Amino acid sequence: MTKLLNLFRRRRDRLERDLDRELRYHIDRRVEDLIKDGLGEPEAQRRASIELGGVPQVQEAVRDTWIWRWLDELLRDVRFAMRSLTRSWGFTAGAGTVLALTISANVAIFSVVNTVLLQPLAYPDAERLVSVETWWTNTGRASQDVSGPDFLDWQAENDVFEQLAAYFGGNETPVIVGDRAVFANSGYVSAGFFAVFGQSASAGRLLTQDDVPAEPAPATAAVVAHHWAATHFGSDRDAIGKLITVYGDTMEIVGVATPGFRYPGSTDVWLPMRPTNHAPNRSDHPYQSVGKLKEEADLTRAQAQMRAIGDALAGQYPENRFKTATVIPLQQRLTGSLEATLWVLMSAVGVVWLIGCANIANLLLARAAGRTREIALRAALGAGRVRVMRQLLTESCVLAGGAGLAGLLLASLLVQEVVALSPANVPRIDDARIDTTVLGFALGLSLVSTALFGLVPALHASRLDLSNALKQGGSKATASRAGARLRSVLVVAEVALSVILLATAGLLVRSFLALQQVDLGFTTDRVLVAYTEYAVRDDVTEDLWTRSRFYADVLDRLRNVPGVSAASGVAYLGMGREPRSPRDVYIQGRPEGRPGERPQAEYHAITADYFKTLEIPVRAGRDFDPTDTPERPRVAIVNETLARTAFPRESPIGRRIQTGTNRKAAWMEIVGVVGDTRWQDPSQPARAVIYAASTQGAGNSLSILARTSLDSQALAGTLRTLLHDANPTVPVKFETMDELFDSALAYPRFRTQVIGLFASVAVVLAAVGIFSVLAYLVGQRTRELAVRRALGARTVDVIPLIIGQGLRLVAIGLVLGLAGALTLARLMTGFLFEISPWDVGTYLGTIAVLGGAALLATLVPAIRAAAIAPLVVLQQE
Amino acid sequence: MPSARFPIPQGTLDMLVLHVLSLEAAHGYAVAQRVQQISRETVRVNQGSLYPALHRLEQKRWLKSEWRRSETGRDAKFYALTRAGRQQLAREKASWDQLSAAVRLIFNEGAKA
Repeated sequence: MTKLLNLFRRRRDRLERDLDRELRYHIDRRVEDLIKDGLGEPEAQRRASIELGGVPQVQEAVRDTWIWRWLDELLRDVRFAMRSLTRSWGFTAGAGTVLALTISANVAIFSVVNTVLLQPLAYPDAERLVSVETWWTNTGRASQDVSGPDFLDWQAENDVFEQLAAYFGGNETPVIVGDRAVFANSGYVSAGFFAVFGQSASAGRLLTQDDVPAEPAPATAAVVAHHWAATHFGSDRDAIGKLITVYGDTMEIVGVATPGFRYPGSTDVWLPMRPTNHAPNRSDHPYQSVGKLKEEADLTRAQAQMRAIGDALAGQYPENRFKTATVIPLQQRLTGSLEATLWVLMSAVGVVWLIGCANIANLLLARAAGRTREIALRAALGAGRVRVMRQLLTESCVLAGGAGLAGLLLASLLVQEVVALSPANVPRIDDARIDTTVLGFALGLSLVSTALFGLVPALHASRLDLSNALKQGGSKATASRAGARLRSVLVVAEVALSVILLATAGLLVRSFLALQQVDLGFTTDRVLVAYTEYAVRDDVTEDLWTRSRFYADVLDRLRNVPGVSAASGVAYLGMGREPRSPRDVYIQGRPEGRPGERPQAEYHAITADYFKTLEIPVRAGRDFDPTDTPERPRVAIVNETLARTAFPRESPIGRRIQTGTNRKAAWMEIVGVVGDTRWQDPSQPARAVIYAASTQGAGNSLSILARTSLDSQALAGTLRTLLHDANPTVPVKFETMDELFDSALAYPRFRTQVIGLFASVAVVLAAVGIFSVLAYLVGQRTRELAVRRALGARTVDVIPLIIGQGLRLVAIGLVLGLAGALTLARLMTGFLFEISPWDVGTYLGTIAVLGGAALLATLVPAIRAAAIAPLVVLQQE
Repeated sequence: MPSARFPIPQGTLDMLVLHVLSLEAAHGYAVAQRVQQISRETVRVNQGSLYPALHRLEQKRWLKSEWRRSETGRDAKFYALTRAGRQQLAREKASWDQLSAAVRLIFNEGAKA
């Protein structure tokens, strides 16, 4: 593109230079002559210029002739193109539709890519925002989770950040507003948080260092999101000075953020915190950290410096042995999960577009062949090769332009469909729309389309053998041999590209089916989930026991509801959410091991009947029961993975373990072993888990699970009343396990649906391509076939002839496509689950589908060939 | 005498230029001089409109141009007629002859009456 522009620019520069020289020559000569006539030089100069009418004026007049000619020819070409396109409206409609559809699909996917991946985050100086993370040297992976002391050291020792802030949370917490308890996403943020994002308040003020509570005291100030203020108080101004209660602490709303600011995630309420408050320990990583680079500090320098600081800490503290620090652009961190998926979709839709272009190139070639005589005539009348090419290209341009416009309109509808299909938690995807970047993309796509499908036939047509074409006269004269080869190449390419797409889609579909059939280790149907939060101050023991009694009471009543076969509670329900970070496990009677080398397990607090509710098998020992009270020795249940890894060749029952950072806590005796479960992502292997009885500890707020034969809506109503009667300040939110499981599969489902759609379009396009080429070839061979028939060939002799010709192309395409698909399949490994990228079934299926479609496409032309009446054809000749 | 010189009619400049160049290839300045010499200084060619005309004719492919050493030893842009240009000149001459014959006929008719 730029090359073409440069060419254009160079040409114009040369024209200008020449004109300049030409006019200077004129003036100089005139001046010489005038001086010879006796004028003084200045006077001669003046006269020469006047006679000419002023050099700039002449230049302007000459330039006009350039532009007029150009415009004139363009207009003529466009008018001609329109005429010729409307004359063959069948071709125009077909090609236009194919092109409009493929362009719209490309534009739609691109506008999502553009919004989610390419547009900078909507914060001031967004390109300087980074996520500062823990780098685990033993696993070679970055993790956003940061320990408090590490963060403070990073903050103190770096000189690359303008601001560095820590935060945690952003999850749903119960907030009491007036007399109502609601769920709000609340995040705890350190003092510099808002400064990192360059935010100012829309009302009141943002949090400052003064709001950060002293070590033992609770926070007293909060900032809320704009929409949240509007919902609960009417407007941002009205929110200022109002009181809210979060986890038992009452605080005043001192400010409202600007509309749209919700970081992290979709936070509604920001509370001030001191990074050590919640985790004084280096092996506990509750925080995440964002920073804004100084203007003069680039990413590489920041990475090097943080690495050095992290390495120094690793040498200083044993807990940090396998840790250092790294810096990742915030945008990359936020879109990481979707990036690969979107690029795969973009490539897939790009392939569909290529197939579409090949199709249209084929159609254009056929048209050009039909127009051989017209073109030959034009050439004979003195139209240069370039002129003929230009005219054919204009035709393609007009076609692509129209189709691009239609595609753009279609895309604006399609974008909404793609957004609707996409996983719910994709950042910013709702903002996907057609903006100037997307418009530019659509324009570029139309232009490149023109070049792709217009240039080849145009070049081809302009290379006509004039005398031959005119002599043969007929509309289907000679473009033949080279043309036929080109068309065959295009069909082969179409088939090959379709195979790649179809094989990819096949792999994804099979992998998705496998995912859905994974044994999760528990059953999801007929389980209602109620998220509740019972807000108490962590430091008031009295309140903790009240909460414990509240849940025991609610669960007892729920178990008595007819139709409920089991009910239980769990502190953290992992499905579709981030996993809990694993904790170190200590086993009584064994050496502790060094940090990073100890066995690790997730820790979950549950009530009795949890395994019964989810139908998780108890392999050995027992479930928790009402006798597991705070007064009794602490008990734990482990899953099979932990049993197998931590207690190989021995029974874990009766062994005592400890977990977490508090080594003074009581040992827990293992009383049972249960089956493994896969919570976050069915494609990941099960993790080691320790279950503790929530009735024995201070416990937590619980999510209530109920297995029921009732309609989930009805049970939800009952449970809501039940909870409200027990304590009206506890907010509740319902979901079913099936819904949660669905959302856990959102990403693979999105990929599979969209690529599946593209693959089906590709197959149809390829079939159409094969059909059109064979139909054309039959047309070309009409005479030959008629002679054969006349000489006694039967229908059964003719049909295989045509089908054979078609299938030969398909076979070549299949082989090339399979080779391509197998090469690319390796890249898909990350998206596949339990299906090898070289899955034989998928490739056989691909061959079957494409072969079938191809056979169908060859059948019609073959039958038409068989129906040729030799007498009629030969008489016409 | 300047007053004796009349501006050439619209549309005839192209024809004059073609004609001058049909005799031999020349650069713009020479064309201007030649038109005036041949017409014995009775026609005033606006030099400013000469160059747009040259470029227009070149774009119509009636003229072709090349940079060549001129009589003064400097490079100048020389124009020459193409085959199409020659044909065009013939056409224009023919139609001009027809037109002027017709005009003369009409004038003579008026004189007789």
